[in-house]
Amino acid sequence: METKENSVADAIDNDYKYGFTTNVESDTFAKGLDEGVVRAISKKKGEPDFMLNFRLKAYEKWLTMKEPAWPNVQYPKIDFQNISYYSAPKPKKKLASLDEVDPEVLNTFEKLGIPLEEQKKLANVAVDAVFDSVSVATTHKKKLMEVGIIFCSFSDAVKDYPELIEEYLGTVVPIGDNYYAALNSAVFTDGSFVYIPPDTISPMELSTYFRINTEETGQFERTLIICAENSYVSYLEGCTAPQFDTNQLHAAVVELVTLDNAEIKYSTVQNWYAGDPETGKGGIYNFVTKRGKCQGEKSKISWTQVETGSAITWKYPSCILQGDGSVGEFYSVALTNGYMQADTGTKMMHIGKNTRSSIISKGISADHSSNSYRGLVRVGKNATDARNYTQCDSMLVGDQSSAHTFPYIETGNSSLQIEHEASTSKISEEQLFYFEQRGISRENAIATIINGFCKDVFKQLPMEFAVEAQKLLTLKLENSVG
Amino acid sequence: MSSVIEESKNGAESAVLALHKQFLDADQPSADLLPFNKKALDIFESLKFPHRKHEMYTFVNTKVLADTSFSLKTENSVQNSFVKQHIYAGCERSHLTFVDGALCPELSDATALGTSVKIGSLIEAVKDESFKNILQKSIEQENDVFASINSAFMKQGVMVKVSRDKQVEVPLQILNVSSGGDSGPVMTVPRAYIHLEPSSELKLIVKYVGDGSNYFVNSVQDMVIEDNATLTHIQIEADSKDAWNFSKNRIFLKRDSKYLGYQTVSGTRLVRNHNEVWLNESGAEMELNGVSVLEEDEQSHQFVRVHHEVENCTSHQYFKNIINDRARASFDGTVVVNKGAQLTNSDQLINNLMLSDEGHADCKPNLMIFADDVKCAHGATVGQLDDDQLFYLKTRGLSESVAKEILTQSFARSIVQKIPFEPVVKELDETLLKKLVANNE
Repeated sequence: METKENSVADAIDNDYKYGFTTNVESDTFAKGLDEGVVRAISKKKGEPDFMLNFRLKAYEKWLTMKEPAWPNVQYPKIDFQNISYYSAPKPKKKLASLDEVDPEVLNTFEKLGIPLEEQKKLANVAVDAVFDSVSVATTHKKKLMEVGIIFCSFSDAVKDYPELIEEYLGTVVPIGDNYYAALNSAVFTDGSFVYIPPDTISPMELSTYFRINTEETGQFERTLIICAENSYVSYLEGCTAPQFDTNQLHAAVVELVTLDNAEIKYSTVQNWYAGDPETGKGGIYNFVTKRGKCQGEKSKISWTQVETGSAITWKYPSCILQGDGSVGEFYSVALTNGYMQADTGTKMMHIGKNTRSSIISKGISADHSSNSYRGLVRVGKNATDARNYTQCDSMLVGDQSSAHTFPYIETGNSSLQIEHEASTSKISEEQLFYFEQRGISRENAIATIINGFCKDVFKQLPMEFAVEAQKLLTLKLENSVG
Repeated sequence: MSSVIEESKNGAESAVLALHKQFLDADQPSADLLPFNKKALDIFESLKFPHRKHEMYTFVNTKVLADTSFSLKTENSVQNSFVKQHIYAGCERSHLTFVDGALCPELSDATALGTSVKIGSLIEAVKDESFKNILQKSIEQENDVFASINSAFMKQGVMVKVSRDKQVEVPLQILNVSSGGDSGPVMTVPRAYIHLEPSSELKLIVKYVGDGSNYFVNSVQDMVIEDNATLTHIQIEADSKDAWNFSKNRIFLKRDSKYLGYQTVSGTRLVRNHNEVWLNESGAEMELNGVSVLEEDEQSHQFVRVHHEVENCTSHQYFKNIINDRARASFDGTVVVNKGAQLTNSDQLINNLMLSDEGHADCKPNLMIFADDVKCAHGATVGQLDDDQLFYLKTRGLSESVAKEILTQSFARSIVQKIPFEPVVKELDETLLKKLVANNE
């Protein structure tokens, strides 16, 4: 019996496959943070005054704030003076084609299974690869430009479209929103910027691969996506990181804005190094603020995430449903194993009339990990006829893991309809027996059960991502029995 | 600005400290309880009144309550006839009446209970080592500031002990009457210790009523249910309109024991029930039901913690709230399934019915699970009456208001009818459910 139980737990175990580092000469700031560093980052990036002011205001605000203590996670205190706030591969002359990119960088992507060249030719996906903090190559830009879509690195956007940045930056996640968002606002180095003009459907899915590289460099990404009237975009974000012993902080901010009838679909697959599975040492701290504002009428924002990595995840992709008739969606699969801790969920703020939201969250926790869902559904007084459906299911593998659910429901009018459901289950011996009896190996049986458990979320992912997500979970499951 | 807030906060706490000084001087608490009173005051000082973001009081605004300086009621008088009308049929010879937290022997009669139930004061109870330990532990580990105030001011209280193997046929009623504060707000601190020895049974009805206004009932009940014993606990809150009622029930369950709880709130200024249940030994079971019918500015807040400490225990929670006008209801419940508590079966269901746009319903049904072979579920809904159902009734010739009345009443009745004591069900038909008739006319 015991060996059987172990094998279920083993099934979730798997060493980090993508643990390697690339040697690129880095241009890295000395550790520490003060006003001078904030100014230096701004200067280094050649930013206009409004950006510097934005950063300085955020830095001032950050100084007055305290690290949040409410998440259901434990970690040693972060020394913010022991982090280097800027790191970039040495600037080279502008690259016209992928051939000019550092072959070592390209090699890294190849190891990850994302050969840029191939993607460019075959996959019809534009990739804005963020290598550490500065964009290395942006592809498909031209094709997108033809229909008027702006898809570029954040630094380029600040230079080329300052009026758009000035108008929207910080409108969804204000600089003082939370501790890490304030820090990000002060020191962010790069990220992605997308603008979809009115009446445009993006001809392809936009995608960014993040990869943390230089040791002990906190990555502070900033993403801003604006979808103008009657337009649509699907944005893909995927992350992997090399194996290090020292903890790395990742405090990104993602802001989405949709105007009338616009729709943004934002998908994430996250598989950062989660620390040593035996000791829990190392691993990424993933403290991310993601929020979308359905500003226009009948607009829609849909978050889909597959979280399988990071030592600590602290992430609540949220929707502010401001426009009448707007829709917010949140689909999440969070798998924790080893000593991982995840406190993730969403916030749905119903402000406009006839707003709808649905939340599907699936948590799988194995080994010594802890997996929490924390969600808020708030319906304001004027949000008449609001509708919400929430379902959060947990699956426990092994008796050392834990699963938690903290849903908050706050309502303030009578014409709403809110439903919340949650359940907890395990992979039962009966289920496994049934599979094995049919000649399916234990390992495949577990993979199938878990895939079935997460199906509701996977089917929301774009094709390529769905495949990758399935692969990721199976990857975590391999090395199991037999 | 912040220094002003700080000041008023300290003011609220120092008012309690001053009142405690007065309590020690004037009320002469018993020497046996005095160390507990003092310890509890220390705990109060460390806990302090909750600020706006206190996790335990997320949905409850206690600022007005904390800022009100209460005095302690010393003279107790209440009309005999008033008490009589609140004694349930069947409890005529098995009731204990407390006026402003003090037992009133002339208004009490426990003759029907016979020798199987021992009734005494806490001063007596504390001589028993096991209760002393429970009291000490619960005071030291207190997490609720208002319960710590109760402990700091507790005097006689009451102890009810059911002897081994005795199934008490007659229900026992504890009636808490508040006579109110004529010259300013008063606080009373009823305290009870209920102990069921192995294989015993008791049906306990605790009712809160007011014969005056401007008072704060701050009660604490500790209940120990030993092996194979069953406690049925019906709590009826029917205080005066402008009263505050905070109660904390701490329930400890041993092997194969059972706790059945029913709580009804008919609405006052602010009601908060804090239930903390420990399923400490295998086979323990608990069920907690609650129903609130609220209108105007009434508030009802439920705070529940269920601790599954060992394997094979079950817990069920069902709560329903009907909210009209500017009323507020909240439910904040957590089920903690600890390491090793395998084969736990737990569920939690909260339904809120909103009848107005100004009302508020907040829910926080939490699960914390540290074991893998468990069945845990929770559900929460907020909604209004179903248009189809209303239409159906109207097609049968019923007026809109009658149709609404039928639907709202049946919503509440599903909990009310579970109460295993007929006189209470009848009474709630007249009080709690009547509110819904008036609401829809």
